[in-house]
Amino acid sequence: MAAQETRDLAGAVDSTDPEVGLAAVAALRTLVERLEALHVANARERGWSWQEIGGALGVSKQAVHRKHGRRRRLLG
Amino acid sequence: MFERFTEDARAAVVAAQAEAAALHHGWIGTEHLLLGVLATGGDGARLLAGFGVDAAAVRDDVVRTVGRGEEDIDPQALATLGIDLDAVRERVERAFGPGALSRRGRCGSRAMPFCARAKKALELTLREAIALGARDLRSEHLVLGLLREGDGVAARILAARGVTLDAVRSRVAGQDAA
Repeated sequence: MAAQETRDLAGAVDSTDPEVGLAAVAALRTLVERLEALHVANARERGWSWQEIGGALGVSKQAVHRKHGRRRRLLG
Repeated sequence: MFERFTEDARAAVVAAQAEAAALHHGWIGTEHLLLGVLATGGDGARLLAGFGVDAAAVRDDVVRTVGRGEEDIDPQALATLGIDLDAVRERVERAFGPGALSRRGRCGSRAMPFCARAKKALELTLREAIALGARDLRSEHLVLGLLREGDGVAARILAARGVTLDAVRSRVAGQDAA
């Protein structure tokens, strides 16, 4: 990464610019969703129940099942 | 299924996954297998070069036909929080394979991300190699499998570039007879 870019990013950390802060939150949320989908699928493949997965995530089994329960169809 | 694959043919299948990841596609379709064959530079790539087909041209075709997946996590926005997305991706992919952090694909599962047509093409690859009496399954046979499959993005791209099943089969048959 170029030095200038690094300085720009360092400057953004303590920025109170809403655009910067909200973009960071949006990106973090997307990252969390991806990681959640990945680990929930992995847990299911290893035979974890929705109850156990919900417990580990700190949500109800209904909530986690509603969100991840639909199995993706195999397409062409 | 992969036991009889030559090193080239195996490398092509592995490269297909890298091609899919690079395009941010969360699936492995016939288009990625074709790109994998071309990227590996083995006998399949040499065969296609004989028809004037190379990796760069096919990659353009694929992007035009299928598009790129969106790289929708903004690495710069995460960097403002001190999170290095590349580092996260690297760890996740080490555990779960290439493209694990990409948007979920249109077919296959994470454990077996091949689309039905790509699976079919792999089966037909095997059948073509057997029919030609080949001892090993080379990346040339992958090209044959992709053409025999007939419906996938790879078959359509090859057809549009004038590569026909008969022409390829006779060239590969020559190799297998030699």
